[in-house]
Amino acid sequence: MSHLSDDELVLHYYGEDGPEIVSVERHLRSCDQCARSFAALSQTLTAVTPPEFGEGADELPALRPFILEHQRDRAPAGLIALVWLVPLLYPFSFRALFNSVQVVHEHVVGMALVALSLAWTFAGPFVAIYALNRGAVDRFDRASTRVLLFGALVAATSPALFVFASRAMPGLLWWYVAVATACLMALPRWPSSTRAAASFLYVHRLSALIVTAFVSAHIINQAIAFFSLSSYTAMRGVMRIASQQPALYAVLVGAVGIQIVTGAAIGMRKVRAGSVAANLQAVSGWYLAAFLLVHVFSGLMFSPSPSTTTVAPSATQFDLLATARLTAQLPFLLLGVSAFLFHIGLYGRLAALAHLAESSVRRLSYAAMLVGTTVVVTVGLALCGIHLIR
Amino acid sequence: MTDGDLEVFLSLVERHRRYMYKLAFRITGNEQDAKDVVQESVLNAYLHLKQFEQRADLRTWLNRILVNCALDHLRSRRRRPDVNDPRPISDVAETAVSSSPDAERLIASADWRRQVSAVMDTMSPLERVTFALRHFEGCSINEIAQTVGIGANATKQHIFRAVRKLRLALEPHWSGR
Repeated sequence: MSHLSDDELVLHYYGEDGPEIVSVERHLRSCDQCARSFAALSQTLTAVTPPEFGEGADELPALRPFILEHQRDRAPAGLIALVWLVPLLYPFSFRALFNSVQVVHEHVVGMALVALSLAWTFAGPFVAIYALNRGAVDRFDRASTRVLLFGALVAATSPALFVFASRAMPGLLWWYVAVATACLMALPRWPSSTRAAASFLYVHRLSALIVTAFVSAHIINQAIAFFSLSSYTAMRGVMRIASQQPALYAVLVGAVGIQIVTGAAIGMRKVRAGSVAANLQAVSGWYLAAFLLVHVFSGLMFSPSPSTTTVAPSATQFDLLATARLTAQLPFLLLGVSAFLFHIGLYGRLAALAHLAESSVRRLSYAAMLVGTTVVVTVGLALCGIHLIR
Repeated sequence: MTDGDLEVFLSLVERHRRYMYKLAFRITGNEQDAKDVVQESVLNAYLHLKQFEQRADLRTWLNRILVNCALDHLRSRRRRPDVNDPRPISDVAETAVSSSPDAERLIASADWRRQVSAVMDTMSPLERVTFALRHFEGCSINEIAQTVGIGANATKQHIFRAVRKLRLALEPHWSGR
Protein backbone atom coordinates (compact mmCIF):
# COMPACT_ATOMS: atom_id res chain seq x y z
CA MET A 1 0.00 0.00 0.00
CA SER A 2 1.40 3.43 -0.96
CA HIS A 3 1.45 6.32 1.52
CA LEU A 4 -1.90 7.69 2.62
CA SER A 5 -2.98 11.07 1.30
CA ASP A 6 -3.97 13.92 3.62
CA ASP A 7 -7.60 13.45 2.60
CA GLU A 8 -7.48 9.72 3.43
CA LEU A 9 -6.04 10.59 6.83
CA VAL A 10 -8.89 13.05 7.46
CA LEU A 11 -11.46 10.39 6.52
CA HIS A 12 -9.73 7.92 8.85
CA TYR A 13 -9.71 10.43 11.72
CA TYR A 14 -13.48 10.81 11.42
CA GLY A 15 -14.02 7.09 10.83
CA GLU A 16 -15.46 7.81 7.39
CA ASP A 17 -13.13 5.56 5.38
CA GLY A 18 -15.73 2.79 5.06
CA PRO A 19 -14.47 -0.75 4.34
CA GLU A 20 -10.90 0.59 3.97
CA ILE A 21 -10.72 1.32 7.68
CA VAL A 22 -8.95 -1.95 8.55
CA SER A 23 -6.31 -1.70 5.81
CA VAL A 24 -5.69 1.97 6.63
CA GLU A 25 -5.22 1.15 10.31
CA ARG A 26 -2.86 -1.72 9.41
CA HIS A 27 -0.88 0.63 7.18
CA LEU A 28 -0.59 3.24 9.92
CA ARG A 29 0.94 0.62 12.21
CA SER A 30 3.57 -0.35 9.64
CA CYS A 31 4.42 3.05 8.10
CA ASP A 32 6.22 5.59 10.31
CA GLN A 33 5.76 8.47 7.88
CA CYS A 34 1.99 8.06 7.66
CA ALA A 35 1.74 7.44 11.41
CA ARG A 36 3.57 10.74 12.08
CA SER A 37 1.26 12.60 9.67
CA PHE A 38 -1.80 11.06 11.30
CA ALA A 39 -0.53 11.95 14.78
CA ALA A 40 0.00 15.58 13.72
CA LEU A 41 -3.47 15.72 12.17
CA SER A 42 -5.08 14.16 15.23
CA GLN A 43 -3.26 16.55 17.56
CA THR A 44 -4.49 19.56 15.58
CA LEU A 45 -8.08 18.39 15.19
CA THR A 46 -8.34 17.31 18.82
CA ALA A 47 -7.24 20.80 19.82
CA VAL A 48 -10.05 22.36 17.78
CA THR A 49 -12.82 22.33 20.34
CA PRO A 50 -16.32 23.83 19.91
CA PRO A 51 -16.57 27.52 20.78
CA GLU A 52 -17.90 28.08 24.28
CA PHE A 53 -21.07 30.07 24.42
CA GLY A 54 -21.86 32.48 27.16
CA GLU A 55 -25.16 33.83 28.38
CA GLY A 56 -26.72 34.08 24.93
CA ALA A 57 -28.63 30.80 25.20
CA ASP A 58 -30.66 32.14 28.08
CA GLU A 59 -31.30 35.47 26.40
CA LEU A 60 -32.88 34.21 23.23
CA PRO A 61 -35.17 36.76 21.61
CA ALA A 62 -38.91 36.30 21.86
CA LEU A 63 -40.03 34.42 18.78
CA ARG A 64 -43.75 35.12 18.94
CA PRO A 65 -43.66 38.89 18.21
CA PHE A 66 -41.04 38.29 15.51
CA ILE A 67 -43.30 35.81 13.69
CA LEU A 68 -46.41 37.95 14.14
CA GLU A 69 -44.58 40.99 12.80
CA HIS A 70 -43.42 39.03 9.76
CA GLN A 71 -46.92 37.67 9.17
CA ARG A 72 -48.14 41.21 8.64
CA ASP A 73 -45.58 41.73 5.87
CA ARG A 74 -47.12 42.02 2.45
CA ALA A 75 -45.35 42.09 -0.88
CA PRO A 76 -44.78 45.84 -1.35
CA ALA A 77 -47.37 47.46 -3.63
CA GLY A 78 -44.63 49.48 -5.37
CA LEU A 79 -42.82 46.31 -6.45
CA ILE A 80 -46.06 44.76 -7.69
CA ALA A 81 -46.78 47.88 -9.74
CA LEU A 82 -43.23 47.89 -11.11
CA VAL A 83 -43.28 44.28 -12.34
CA TRP A 84 -46.70 44.65 -13.99
CA LEU A 85 -45.67 47.94 -15.61
CA VAL A 86 -43.01 46.09 -17.62
CA PRO A 87 -45.40 44.00 -19.78
CA LEU A 88 -47.79 46.95 -20.08
CA LEU A 89 -45.09 49.20 -21.54
CA TYR A 90 -43.07 46.53 -23.36
CA PRO A 91 -44.75 46.94 -26.82
CA PHE A 92 -43.55 50.55 -26.90
CA SER A 93 -39.94 49.75 -25.99
CA PHE A 94 -38.84 48.12 -29.24
CA ARG A 95 -40.71 50.80 -31.22
CA ALA A 96 -38.62 53.33 -29.25
CA LEU A 97 -35.50 51.32 -30.12
CA PHE A 98 -36.40 51.28 -33.80
CA ASN A 99 -37.12 55.04 -33.85
CA SER A 100 -33.94 55.90 -31.95
CA VAL A 101 -31.90 53.89 -34.49
CA GLN A 102 -33.47 56.08 -37.22
CA VAL A 103 -32.40 59.19 -35.27
CA VAL A 104 -28.79 57.93 -35.10
CA HIS A 105 -28.67 58.03 -38.92
CA GLU A 106 -29.18 61.80 -38.72
CA HIS A 107 -27.62 62.80 -35.35
CA VAL A 108 -24.85 61.08 -33.43
CA VAL A 109 -26.50 62.20 -30.17
CA GLY A 110 -29.18 59.65 -31.00
CA MET A 111 -26.75 57.07 -29.54
CA ALA A 112 -27.93 58.09 -26.07
CA LEU A 113 -31.51 57.40 -27.16
CA VAL A 114 -30.46 54.00 -28.52
CA ALA A 115 -28.75 53.15 -25.23
CA LEU A 116 -31.82 54.21 -23.23
CA SER A 117 -34.27 52.32 -25.40
CA LEU A 118 -32.00 49.24 -25.38
CA ALA A 119 -32.03 49.35 -21.56
CA TRP A 120 -35.83 49.65 -21.65
CA THR A 121 -36.20 46.75 -24.10
CA PHE A 122 -33.99 44.43 -22.03
CA ALA A 123 -35.26 45.63 -18.62
CA GLY A 124 -37.82 42.85 -17.96
CA PRO A 125 -35.58 40.12 -16.47
CA PHE A 126 -33.57 42.64 -14.45
CA VAL A 127 -36.73 44.19 -12.98
CA ALA A 128 -37.94 40.66 -12.14
CA ILE A 129 -34.71 39.78 -10.32
CA TYR A 130 -34.78 43.11 -8.44
CA ALA A 131 -38.40 42.57 -7.37
CA LEU A 132 -37.78 38.98 -6.26
CA ASN A 133 -34.73 40.00 -4.21
CA ARG A 134 -36.58 42.84 -2.50
CA GLY A 135 -40.07 41.39 -2.14
CA ALA A 136 -41.40 38.96 0.45
CA VAL A 137 -41.73 35.96 -1.86
CA ASP A 138 -41.77 33.14 0.67
CA ARG A 139 -45.49 33.25 1.50
CA PHE A 140 -47.26 31.56 -1.40
CA ASP A 141 -50.49 31.40 0.54
CA ARG A 142 -50.79 35.20 0.13
CA ALA A 143 -52.38 36.63 -3.00
CA SER A 144 -49.97 39.60 -2.94
CA THR A 145 -46.96 37.25 -3.07
CA ARG A 146 -48.43 35.34 -5.98
CA VAL A 147 -49.29 38.53 -7.87
CA LEU A 148 -45.70 39.75 -7.36
CA LEU A 149 -44.23 36.41 -8.40
CA PHE A 150 -46.44 36.07 -11.45
CA GLY A 151 -45.75 39.71 -12.35
CA ALA A 152 -42.01 38.98 -12.16
CA LEU A 153 -42.54 35.94 -14.38
CA VAL A 154 -44.47 37.92 -17.01
CA ALA A 155 -41.99 40.84 -16.79
CA ALA A 156 -39.01 38.51 -17.25
CA THR A 157 -40.53 36.72 -20.22
CA SER A 158 -42.26 39.69 -21.92
CA PRO A 159 -39.96 39.75 -24.99
CA ALA A 160 -40.66 36.06 -25.69
CA LEU A 161 -44.34 36.19 -24.76
CA PHE A 162 -44.86 39.22 -26.99
CA VAL A 163 -43.33 37.45 -30.01
CA PHE A 164 -45.51 34.42 -29.24
CA ALA A 165 -48.66 36.49 -28.75
CA SER A 166 -48.08 38.50 -31.91
CA ARG A 167 -47.69 35.27 -33.92
CA ALA A 168 -50.81 33.72 -32.39
CA MET A 169 -53.05 36.80 -32.36
CA PRO A 170 -51.50 39.95 -33.81
CA GLY A 171 -52.57 43.23 -32.26
CA LEU A 172 -51.90 45.14 -29.06
CA LEU A 173 -55.38 44.42 -27.71
CA TRP A 174 -54.64 40.69 -27.54
CA TRP A 175 -51.36 41.38 -25.78
CA TYR A 176 -53.15 43.26 -23.03
CA VAL A 177 -55.83 40.55 -22.79
CA ALA A 178 -53.01 38.01 -22.31
CA VAL A 179 -51.36 40.16 -19.60
CA ALA A 180 -54.69 40.61 -17.78
CA THR A 181 -55.32 36.84 -17.95
CA ALA A 182 -51.87 36.18 -16.48
CA CYS A 183 -52.67 38.58 -13.62
CA LEU A 184 -55.94 36.80 -12.89
CA MET A 185 -54.17 33.41 -12.86
CA ALA A 186 -52.08 34.61 -9.91
CA LEU A 187 -55.14 35.06 -7.69
CA PRO A 188 -56.20 31.44 -6.96
CA ARG A 189 -54.07 29.39 -4.55
CA TRP A 190 -51.41 27.18 -6.14
CA PRO A 191 -51.01 23.49 -5.35
CA SER A 192 -47.89 22.58 -3.38
CA SER A 193 -45.28 20.97 -5.65
CA THR A 194 -42.40 20.51 -3.19
CA ARG A 195 -42.18 16.73 -3.48
CA ALA A 196 -42.63 16.69 -7.22
CA ALA A 197 -39.98 19.39 -7.61
CA ALA A 198 -37.27 17.20 -6.07
CA SER A 199 -37.98 14.30 -8.42
CA PHE A 200 -38.27 16.62 -11.43
CA LEU A 201 -34.78 18.01 -10.89
CA TYR A 202 -33.03 14.85 -12.09
CA VAL A 203 -35.13 14.64 -15.27
CA HIS A 204 -34.63 18.37 -15.82
CA ARG A 205 -30.83 18.06 -15.70
CA LEU A 206 -30.80 14.98 -17.91
CA SER A 207 -32.88 16.55 -20.68
CA ALA A 208 -30.80 19.73 -20.31
CA LEU A 209 -27.78 17.89 -21.74
CA ILE A 210 -29.55 17.35 -25.07
CA VAL A 211 -30.88 20.90 -25.24
CA THR A 212 -27.48 22.33 -24.23
CA ALA A 213 -25.70 20.52 -27.06
CA PHE A 214 -28.22 21.76 -29.62
CA VAL A 215 -28.48 25.34 -28.36
CA SER A 216 -24.69 25.70 -27.96
CA ALA A 217 -24.17 24.73 -31.59
CA HIS A 218 -26.86 27.20 -32.57
CA ILE A 219 -25.33 30.08 -30.59
CA ILE A 220 -21.82 29.39 -31.87
CA ASN A 221 -23.18 29.48 -35.43
CA GLN A 222 -25.00 32.76 -34.75
CA ALA A 223 -21.74 34.24 -33.45
CA ILE A 224 -19.93 32.96 -36.55
CA ALA A 225 -22.37 35.04 -38.64
CA PHE A 226 -20.64 38.17 -37.31
CA PHE A 227 -17.32 37.02 -38.74
CA SER A 228 -18.48 35.38 -41.97
CA LEU A 229 -21.97 35.11 -43.39
CA SER A 230 -20.99 32.35 -45.83
CA SER A 231 -19.51 30.19 -43.03
CA TYR A 232 -22.73 30.66 -41.08
CA THR A 233 -24.79 29.57 -44.08
CA ALA A 234 -22.67 26.46 -44.62
CA MET A 235 -22.84 25.42 -40.97
CA ARG A 236 -26.55 26.13 -40.78
CA GLY A 237 -27.10 23.82 -43.76
CA VAL A 238 -25.32 20.98 -41.95
CA MET A 239 -27.25 21.59 -38.71
CA ARG A 240 -30.53 21.74 -40.56
CA ILE A 241 -29.92 18.39 -42.28
CA ALA A 242 -29.09 16.85 -38.88
CA SER A 243 -32.07 18.33 -37.06
CA GLN A 244 -34.49 17.34 -39.84
CA GLN A 245 -33.85 13.64 -39.13
CA PRO A 246 -37.19 12.52 -37.62
CA ALA A 247 -35.62 10.65 -34.69
CA LEU A 248 -33.30 13.52 -33.77
CA TYR A 249 -36.08 16.05 -34.16
CA ALA A 250 -38.37 14.02 -31.90
CA VAL A 251 -35.64 13.72 -29.25
CA LEU A 252 -34.99 17.46 -29.42
CA VAL A 253 -38.63 18.51 -29.21
CA GLY A 254 -39.18 15.97 -26.41
CA ALA A 255 -36.19 17.30 -24.44
CA VAL A 256 -37.41 20.88 -24.84
CA GLY A 257 -40.90 19.85 -23.71
CA ILE A 258 -39.48 18.09 -20.63
CA GLN A 259 -37.31 21.14 -19.86
CA ILE A 260 -40.31 23.46 -19.94
CA VAL A 261 -42.64 21.23 -17.90
CA THR A 262 -40.09 20.25 -15.22
CA GLY A 263 -38.65 23.78 -15.15
CA ALA A 264 -42.12 25.23 -14.55
CA ALA A 265 -42.68 22.75 -11.69
CA ILE A 266 -39.46 23.57 -9.87
CA GLY A 267 -38.94 27.20 -10.89
CA MET A 268 -41.67 28.86 -8.86
CA ARG A 269 -40.46 27.43 -5.55
CA LYS A 270 -36.83 28.32 -6.13
CA VAL A 271 -37.23 32.05 -5.67
CA ARG A 272 -36.36 33.58 -2.30
CA ALA A 273 -35.99 37.14 -1.11
CA GLY A 274 -32.32 38.12 -0.92
CA SER A 275 -31.04 35.02 -2.69
CA VAL A 276 -29.52 36.49 -5.83
CA ALA A 277 -28.15 33.25 -7.27
CA ALA A 278 -31.41 31.31 -6.79
CA ASN A 279 -33.43 34.16 -8.31
CA LEU A 280 -31.04 34.51 -11.26
CA GLN A 281 -31.35 30.78 -11.86
CA ALA A 282 -35.14 30.93 -11.67
CA VAL A 283 -35.54 34.03 -13.86
CA SER A 284 -33.07 32.79 -16.51
CA GLY A 285 -34.93 29.46 -16.46
CA TRP A 286 -38.30 31.17 -16.92
CA TYR A 287 -37.03 33.15 -19.89
CA LEU A 288 -35.35 30.11 -21.39
CA ALA A 289 -38.59 28.13 -21.13
CA ALA A 290 -40.56 30.92 -22.82
CA PHE A 291 -37.86 31.33 -25.45
CA LEU A 292 -37.71 27.62 -26.29
CA LEU A 293 -41.51 27.46 -26.34
CA VAL A 294 -41.66 30.20 -28.95
CA HIS A 295 -38.55 29.16 -30.88
CA VAL A 296 -39.23 25.44 -31.14
CA PHE A 297 -42.98 25.06 -30.75
CA SER A 298 -44.40 28.09 -32.52
CA GLY A 299 -43.15 26.51 -35.80
CA LEU A 300 -45.29 23.48 -35.00
CA MET A 301 -48.32 25.47 -33.85
CA PHE A 302 -48.37 28.17 -36.51
CA SER A 303 -47.47 27.73 -40.19
CA PRO A 304 -43.79 28.56 -40.68
CA SER A 305 -42.88 31.49 -42.86
CA PRO A 306 -41.39 30.65 -46.26
CA SER A 307 -38.04 32.14 -45.20
CA THR A 308 -37.46 29.30 -42.72
CA THR A 309 -37.47 26.69 -45.46
CA THR A 310 -34.78 28.24 -47.62
CA VAL A 311 -31.12 27.38 -47.09
CA ALA A 312 -29.71 30.88 -47.64
CA PRO A 313 -30.27 33.41 -44.85
CA SER A 314 -33.16 35.68 -45.69
CA ALA A 315 -32.65 39.37 -46.16
CA THR A 316 -34.34 40.24 -42.87
CA GLN A 317 -32.78 37.52 -40.71
CA PHE A 318 -29.69 39.63 -40.05
CA ASP A 319 -31.23 43.06 -40.28
CA LEU A 320 -33.52 43.15 -37.30
CA LEU A 321 -33.49 46.94 -37.17
CA ALA A 322 -35.10 47.17 -40.63
CA THR A 323 -38.68 47.58 -39.33
CA ALA A 324 -40.31 48.14 -35.94
CA ARG A 325 -41.95 44.70 -36.11
CA LEU A 326 -38.62 42.96 -36.75
CA THR A 327 -36.97 44.91 -33.92
CA ALA A 328 -39.08 42.91 -31.44
CA GLN A 329 -36.97 39.88 -32.43
CA LEU A 330 -33.76 41.49 -31.18
CA PRO A 331 -34.46 41.45 -27.40
CA PHE A 332 -36.26 38.13 -27.84
CA LEU A 333 -33.19 36.43 -29.36
CA LEU A 334 -30.46 38.17 -27.35
CA LEU A 335 -32.19 37.57 -24.03
CA GLY A 336 -32.61 33.93 -25.10
CA VAL A 337 -28.84 33.62 -25.63
CA SER A 338 -28.11 35.43 -22.35
CA ALA A 339 -30.61 33.32 -20.37
CA PHE A 340 -29.11 30.11 -21.75
CA LEU A 341 -25.55 31.15 -20.87
CA PHE A 342 -26.60 32.35 -17.40
CA HIS A 343 -28.62 29.23 -16.67
CA ILE A 344 -25.91 26.71 -17.54
CA GLY A 345 -23.24 29.01 -16.11
CA LEU A 346 -24.93 28.98 -12.70
CA TYR A 347 -25.22 25.19 -12.79
CA GLY A 348 -21.56 25.01 -13.81
CA ARG A 349 -20.61 27.26 -10.90
CA LEU A 350 -22.48 25.04 -8.48
CA ALA A 351 -20.77 21.92 -9.86
CA ALA A 352 -17.34 23.60 -9.75
CA LEU A 353 -17.84 24.53 -6.08
CA ALA A 354 -17.86 20.82 -5.28
CA HIS A 355 -14.32 20.40 -6.59
CA LEU A 356 -12.57 23.78 -6.47
CA ALA A 357 -11.95 26.45 -3.87
CA GLU A 358 -14.43 29.36 -3.87
CA SER A 359 -11.75 31.86 -4.90
CA SER A 360 -10.89 29.76 -7.99
CA VAL A 361 -14.58 29.39 -8.83
CA ARG A 362 -15.00 33.17 -8.52
CA ARG A 363 -12.13 33.78 -10.96
CA LEU A 364 -13.55 31.21 -13.38
CA SER A 365 -16.98 32.87 -13.08
CA TYR A 366 -15.52 36.26 -14.06
CA ALA A 367 -13.79 34.67 -17.06
CA ALA A 368 -17.03 32.92 -18.06
CA MET A 369 -18.96 36.20 -17.75
CA LEU A 370 -16.45 37.90 -20.05
CA VAL A 371 -16.74 35.12 -22.63
CA GLY A 372 -20.54 35.12 -22.32
CA THR A 373 -20.79 38.90 -22.80
CA THR A 374 -18.52 38.67 -25.86
CA VAL A 375 -20.75 35.96 -27.34
CA VAL A 376 -23.94 37.98 -26.71
CA VAL A 377 -22.44 41.17 -28.21
CA THR A 378 -21.13 39.24 -31.24
CA VAL A 379 -24.51 37.62 -31.87
CA GLY A 380 -26.18 41.02 -31.38
CA LEU A 381 -23.94 42.70 -33.94
CA ALA A 382 -24.62 39.91 -36.44
CA LEU A 383 -28.38 40.20 -35.88
CA CYS A 384 -28.17 43.95 -36.55
CA GLY A 385 -26.62 43.22 -39.95
CA ILE A 386 -22.99 43.88 -39.04
CA HIS A 387 -20.66 41.25 -40.54
CA LEU A 388 -16.87 41.32 -40.97
CA ILE A 389 -17.10 39.19 -44.16
CA ARG A 390 -20.33 39.00 -46.10
CA MET B 1 -52.65 29.21 10.00
CA THR B 2 -54.36 30.43 13.15
CA ASP B 3 -53.00 31.97 16.36
CA GLY B 4 -53.65 28.59 17.98
CA ASP B 5 -51.35 26.90 15.45
CA LEU B 6 -48.65 29.43 16.29
CA GLU B 7 -48.93 28.71 20.00
CA VAL B 8 -48.70 24.93 19.45
CA PHE B 9 -45.78 25.41 17.08
CA LEU B 10 -43.87 27.63 19.50
CA SER B 11 -44.36 25.22 22.36
CA LEU B 12 -42.90 22.44 20.19
CA VAL B 13 -39.98 24.59 19.12
CA GLU B 14 -39.30 25.69 22.70
CA ARG B 15 -38.04 22.17 23.53
CA HIS B 16 -35.40 22.42 20.83
CA ARG B 17 -34.54 26.09 21.06
CA ARG B 18 -31.50 25.74 23.28
CA TYR B 19 -30.06 23.00 21.07
CA MET B 20 -30.76 25.13 17.99
CA TYR B 21 -28.92 28.04 19.56
CA LYS B 22 -25.92 25.84 20.40
CA LEU B 23 -25.75 24.53 16.83
CA ALA B 24 -26.12 28.03 15.37
CA PHE B 25 -23.40 29.33 17.68
CA ARG B 26 -21.02 26.52 16.74
CA ILE B 27 -21.55 27.26 13.07
CA THR B 28 -21.47 31.05 13.11
CA GLY B 29 -19.05 31.51 16.02
CA ASN B 30 -20.75 34.52 17.63
CA GLU B 31 -23.77 35.13 19.79
CA GLN B 32 -25.58 37.80 17.79
CA ASP B 33 -25.36 35.80 14.55
CA ALA B 34 -26.54 32.69 16.39
CA LYS B 35 -29.60 34.54 17.72
CA ASP B 36 -30.42 35.90 14.25
CA VAL B 37 -30.07 32.43 12.71
CA VAL B 38 -32.36 30.84 15.33
CA GLN B 39 -34.96 33.56 14.80
CA GLU B 40 -34.83 33.22 11.01
CA SER B 41 -35.01 29.44 11.11
CA VAL B 42 -37.98 29.35 13.49
CA LEU B 43 -39.79 31.79 11.22
CA ASN B 44 -38.94 29.70 8.14
CA ALA B 45 -40.07 26.53 9.91
CA TYR B 46 -43.38 28.17 10.79
CA LEU B 47 -43.91 29.46 7.25
CA HIS B 48 -43.23 25.99 5.81
CA LEU B 49 -44.97 23.98 8.50
CA LYS B 50 -47.05 22.15 5.91
CA GLN B 51 -43.89 20.63 4.47
CA PHE B 52 -43.17 18.98 7.82
CA GLU B 53 -46.27 16.83 7.32
CA GLN B 54 -45.70 13.31 8.62
CA ARG B 55 -41.96 13.52 9.14
CA ALA B 56 -41.08 11.67 12.31
CA ASP B 57 -38.35 13.85 13.71
CA LEU B 58 -39.02 17.52 14.33
CA ARG B 59 -35.46 18.17 15.50
CA THR B 60 -33.95 16.81 12.26
CA TRP B 61 -36.30 18.99 10.22
CA LEU B 62 -35.56 22.07 12.33
CA ASN B 63 -31.81 21.38 12.10
CA ARG B 64 -31.97 21.21 8.33
CA ILE B 65 -33.72 24.57 8.20
CA LEU B 66 -31.29 26.05 10.72
CA VAL B 67 -28.20 24.85 8.85
CA ASN B 68 -29.47 26.38 5.60
CA CYS B 69 -30.35 29.65 7.38
CA ALA B 70 -26.85 29.67 8.89
CA LEU B 71 -25.36 29.14 5.42
CA ASP B 72 -27.35 32.09 4.03
CA HIS B 73 -26.32 34.16 7.05
CA LEU B 74 -22.62 33.35 6.60
CA ARG B 75 -22.85 34.18 2.91
CA SER B 76 -24.40 37.57 3.61
CA ARG B 77 -21.83 38.17 6.38
CA ARG B 78 -19.02 37.61 3.88
CA ARG B 79 -20.55 40.23 1.62
CA ARG B 80 -20.36 42.81 4.43
CA PRO B 81 -16.85 44.27 4.29
CA ASP B 82 -16.81 45.31 7.96
CA VAL B 83 -17.22 41.75 9.16
CA ASN B 84 -15.47 39.86 6.41
CA ASP B 85 -11.95 38.93 7.44
CA PRO B 86 -9.73 39.59 4.43
CA ARG B 87 -6.61 38.17 6.08
CA PRO B 88 -5.02 35.30 4.21
CA ILE B 89 -4.48 32.08 6.11
CA SER B 90 -0.72 32.73 6.37
CA ASP B 91 -1.37 35.94 8.33
CA VAL B 92 -3.60 34.06 10.75
CA ALA B 93 -0.78 31.58 11.36
CA GLU B 94 1.66 34.42 12.10
CA THR B 95 -0.48 35.66 14.98
CA ALA B 96 0.18 32.41 16.81
CA VAL B 97 0.58 32.26 20.54
CA SER B 98 4.14 31.25 21.16
CA SER B 99 4.83 31.10 24.82
CA SER B 100 2.43 28.48 26.21
CA PRO B 101 4.38 25.92 28.15
CA ASP B 102 2.44 22.82 27.10
CA ALA B 103 -0.19 21.62 24.70
CA GLU B 104 -3.04 21.42 27.21
CA ARG B 105 -2.53 24.94 28.46
CA LEU B 106 -2.20 26.15 24.91
CA ILE B 107 -5.54 24.61 23.92
CA ALA B 108 -7.24 26.03 26.99
CA SER B 109 -5.93 29.54 26.40
CA ALA B 110 -8.12 32.34 25.10
CA ASP B 111 -5.48 33.17 22.49
CA TRP B 112 -5.78 29.69 21.04
CA ARG B 113 -9.57 29.95 20.83
CA ARG B 114 -9.25 33.30 19.12
CA GLN B 115 -6.83 31.81 16.66
CA VAL B 116 -9.08 28.84 15.88
CA SER B 117 -11.94 31.31 15.43
CA ALA B 118 -9.78 33.40 13.07
CA VAL B 119 -9.02 30.32 10.95
CA MET B 120 -12.73 29.44 10.90
CA ASP B 121 -13.41 32.96 9.59
CA THR B 122 -11.13 32.30 6.60
CA MET B 123 -13.29 29.32 5.59
CA SER B 124 -16.00 29.63 2.98
CA PRO B 125 -19.58 29.27 4.32
CA LEU B 126 -19.84 25.70 3.01
CA GLU B 127 -16.45 24.73 4.42
CA ARG B 128 -17.39 26.18 7.78
CA VAL B 129 -20.82 24.56 7.97
CA THR B 130 -19.72 21.10 6.80
CA PHE B 131 -16.69 21.16 9.11
CA ALA B 132 -18.73 22.31 12.12
CA LEU B 133 -21.33 19.60 11.54
CA ARG B 134 -18.68 16.89 11.12
CA HIS B 135 -16.23 18.00 13.78
CA PHE B 136 -18.34 19.60 16.50
CA GLU B 137 -21.64 17.80 16.01
CA GLY B 138 -20.31 14.41 14.90
CA CYS B 139 -22.71 14.15 11.95
CA SER B 140 -21.72 11.63 9.27
CA ILE B 141 -20.78 12.88 5.80
CA ASN B 142 -23.98 11.45 4.36
CA GLU B 143 -26.09 13.21 6.99
CA ILE B 144 -24.31 16.49 6.28
CA ALA B 145 -24.80 16.04 2.55
CA GLN B 146 -28.53 15.51 3.07
CA THR B 147 -28.87 18.42 5.47
CA VAL B 148 -27.00 20.92 3.32
CA GLY B 149 -28.41 19.57 0.05
CA ILE B 150 -25.13 18.82 -1.71
CA GLY B 151 -23.48 15.55 -2.77
CA ALA B 152 -21.42 13.37 -0.43
CA ASN B 153 -18.28 13.95 -2.51
CA ALA B 154 -18.78 17.71 -2.44
CA THR B 155 -19.24 17.51 1.33
CA LYS B 156 -15.95 15.63 1.67
CA GLN B 157 -14.14 18.20 -0.46
CA HIS B 158 -15.41 21.09 1.69
CA ILE B 159 -14.33 19.29 4.88
CA PHE B 160 -10.90 18.50 3.38
CA ARG B 161 -10.37 22.16 2.50
CA ALA B 162 -11.47 23.28 5.96
CA VAL B 163 -9.09 20.83 7.63
CA ARG B 164 -6.27 21.93 5.31
CA LYS B 165 -6.77 25.54 6.40
CA LEU B 166 -6.74 24.54 10.06
CA ARG B 167 -3.60 22.45 9.65
CA LEU B 168 -1.81 25.18 7.74
CA ALA B 169 -2.48 27.71 10.48
CA LEU B 170 -2.30 25.55 13.59
CA GLU B 171 0.22 22.76 12.98
CA PRO B 172 3.28 25.06 13.16
CA HIS B 173 2.59 25.26 16.93
CA TRP B 174 3.07 21.54 17.38
CA SER B 175 6.02 21.21 15.02
CA GLY B 176 7.78 24.14 16.67
CA ARG B 177 7.52 22.65 20.16
